[in-house]
Amino acid sequence: MKSLSLAALVAAFAAGPAFAHVTLETQQAAVGSTYKAVLRVPHGCKGAATTKVRVRIPEGVIAVKPMPKPGWTLETTKGKYEKAYDYYGTPTAEGVTEVSWSGGKLLDEHYDEFVLRAYLTSDLKPETTLYVPIVQECEGGAVERWIEIPAAGKSADDYKFPAPGVKLLPKK
Amino acid sequence: MSERGRVFAPGRLPAMTRQFRLILILLGLAIASLTTAGQALAHAALTKTVPADGAVVSSAPGEFSLSFSEPVSPLVLNLIGPDGTSRPLTRFTLSDRTLTIAAPSDLANGTHVLSWRVVSEDGHPVGGSVLFSVGAPSAAQPAPIVQTDPAVRIALWLGKLGLYLGLAFGIGGAAFIVWVAPLPATARRPIAGFLALGLLSVPVALAAQGLDALALPLSGALQAAVWQAATTSSFGRTVLIAALALLVALIALAQPNRSGRMLAILAWLGTGAALAASGHASAAEPQFLTRPAVFLHAVGMAGWAGALLPLAFALRPPDGAQALQRFSRRIPVLLLVILLSGAALAIVQVQHPQALLTTPYGLVLTGKLTLVTALIGLGAFNRYRLTEAVVSGRASARRLLVRIIAAEIAIIVAILAVAALWRFTPPPRAIAAAMAQPASVHIHTNKAMADISLTPGRAGPVTITVSLLDGEFGPLAAKELRLALSRPEAGIEPIERQATKQADGSWQIGDLTLPVAGRWTVELEILVSDFEMIRLKETVEIRP
Repeated sequence: MKSLSLAALVAAFAAGPAFAHVTLETQQAAVGSTYKAVLRVPHGCKGAATTKVRVRIPEGVIAVKPMPKPGWTLETTKGKYEKAYDYYGTPTAEGVTEVSWSGGKLLDEHYDEFVLRAYLTSDLKPETTLYVPIVQECEGGAVERWIEIPAAGKSADDYKFPAPGVKLLPKK
Repeated sequence: MSERGRVFAPGRLPAMTRQFRLILILLGLAIASLTTAGQALAHAALTKTVPADGAVVSSAPGEFSLSFSEPVSPLVLNLIGPDGTSRPLTRFTLSDRTLTIAAPSDLANGTHVLSWRVVSEDGHPVGGSVLFSVGAPSAAQPAPIVQTDPAVRIALWLGKLGLYLGLAFGIGGAAFIVWVAPLPATARRPIAGFLALGLLSVPVALAAQGLDALALPLSGALQAAVWQAATTSSFGRTVLIAALALLVALIALAQPNRSGRMLAILAWLGTGAALAASGHASAAEPQFLTRPAVFLHAVGMAGWAGALLPLAFALRPPDGAQALQRFSRRIPVLLLVILLSGAALAIVQVQHPQALLTTPYGLVLTGKLTLVTALIGLGAFNRYRLTEAVVSGRASARRLLVRIIAAEIAIIVAILAVAALWRFTPPPRAIAAAMAQPASVHIHTNKAMADISLTPGRAGPVTITVSLLDGEFGPLAAKELRLALSRPEAGIEPIERQATKQADGSWQIGDLTLPVAGRWTVELEILVSDFEMIRLKETVEIRP
C-alpha cells in the first residue's frame, strides 16, 4: 500500500494550492458537447467583499444558460455572434454574450460558486485552451479583472490577471 | 468531462483489481491537478504599505511594513538608496499577513525604493516596489562631463583663437579705413599678418571640429570623414564664411581705393555673419534676437579691436591726431552696440545670475567681463585724459597712449582666448535643455502601439507620457492604463503607477522618481474594454 499513500500524498500536495483567483472547476471538456462551468470565487478584491461577477462568453460558446443564485440578481446581455454556429442542426447566430450576478455580498473570507451551462460548438479548436474572461467587482469600487489571455507559447502563470481556462478535447 | 471519467471508465479496464484501480484513480487525479495547477495559483496582492507608495516622509522611518491579501514569506527584500546603491534587508517579522521590516538607521534624505519579492502559500512568487522619499524626493544629479582627447581640445581652442584673432585684428584692421581714416602704410603688414594667421587657422579649426565630432584622437586628422563631419556641421559654415571674409579683407588691403573700401565693408560684415552662423549663442532661442545680437557683437568687436593697431601706427606721423579724434568721436556708438548685444546674449544664455559663478560657462563669461571692464577703463582713460593732450601735440602723452593701446591689444587677445574657451562649456541654457531631453520608447504590436516618453530621461523625478494607437494607427480608446517600471539587474521589482487620461487623449504619470540610471523595463497594461487587456513590454535607457 506504499504506492497508494505516495499517490495520495502527491495528490494532496498538488491539489493543495488555495484557489486564489477565479477559476473553473472542470478544466477539460470536449468540443461539440455541453459544458457546465462552475466559477469558483475564492476571495474578494484585495480584502473587499465581492458584489458582482461578470462573465464574458467567448466566441464559439452558445446556448448559454446561467444558474440563478439566491441573493444575487442574474442578468444576461445578448448579442450577435461572429458567425452562425450549428446547435444540433439549428444555425445559431445570436445569444448570450455576457452574464452577470450582482447585488450579493461575498465576503473576502468566504467562498462561493457561480454556475452556467453552455454548448461548446465544434468550431472551437481541440487541444487549445478556451479562456473565459471574468470581472470581479467589489465593495468600495475595487475591481479585479481576470481577463488576460496568454499569447501563443505563454502560460497563464506568465500573467498577473489570467482569465480562467478550460482545455478543449477532441469531439467524442 | 473530467480526466477520471474519460480515461478510467470501469468498462475499459475489466481485468483490474479494485485496489489497483484506486491507485490509478488517485494517480490520475494527481496528474490532473498538477497539469492544471497553473490555473489555480494564488497571486498574493499587496494591500497596504507603510510608508505608502510615493509618500514623502519628514523623517527616516524606523521600520517598513507590507500587508498582503494572504499570508506570504519574503524571498528578497532590497532597499535602493538615493545614490543608487542597493542593500539587502534581512531583519523582518511576519505576523498574519503583514511583513514588518527593520529599516537601516542611516537612511539618507531623498528617494528610496523598497523592492520586495515574496512567495504566497501556493509557491507563486510575486514582487513589487514601494517608492518613498525622506525629506523630499531626490533631485536630478548634475550632468556628467564628456571628455575628449586633450590634444584635440587644445587644437579646437587654438583653431578658434586663431580665427578670432584673424577676424578681430585682421578684418577689423582692414575695416579701419571704413570708419576712421585711411590705413597708415606701416600698419598694412601686421594686419596682413593677422589675416594670414586667420587663414592658417581655418584647417586647424576644421580638423579639430571633425575630430571632436567623431571622438577621434589627433592622429585621425587626415581621415576624409573628419573633414566631412567638420564641413557639414554648423561650425563648418562659420569657418567657411570666416575664410571668405579673410580673403576679401586681404584683397581690400591691397587696394587702398574706393573698391578696396567696399571690400573692407564686405569683409567686416563677414565677421558678424561667420560668428552668427554657429555656436551656442546663435543657436539659442529666440533666434530673431540671438542671431542679430551675435552679428552685431562680432562686427562691433572687430571694429573696436581692429582699430587699435592702425591707430597706434597712425599716431607716429604728424597727422595722426585727426585719426585719433575721429576714432574718439565714433567709438561710443560701437561700444554701445557691443555692450547691448552682449548683455542680451548673456541674459539668454546664463538665465540665472548665480550661474555666473556656479557653471563653467558663467565663469568664462565672468572672466571675460572682468577683462572687458579693464579694457573699457583703459579706453575711458585714453579718451578723457589722453586724447586732448595727444591732439594738442604733447609727445609724452602720445608715447603713453601708444603704450596703453599695446596693453589694450594684449587684453583683447586675452578676451578672445577666454571667449574661445566657450567651445568647451555648454551654457546653462543648453545644459538645462540637454538634461530635459526625454527618454522615449516606441512599442508596436499588431494589437496596439504606444509612444512612451519619460521627461527628463534621467534618474530622478520624471513625468511619463504615453500615447496609444491601435495596430493600424487608429485611435485606441483605453479605459485604464497602468504602467510598471522595473530594473531586475539592480534588484528593483516593478514600480507600478496608474496613469491619468489627459484632455488631449494621452496618458500621464507624474509622481515618479527613478532612483538609478540604466536600462529599465517598462510594461504597460492597457485596459481596452471591461474584458480585454493588452500588455506591452519594452526597455528604455535612462541616463545618469
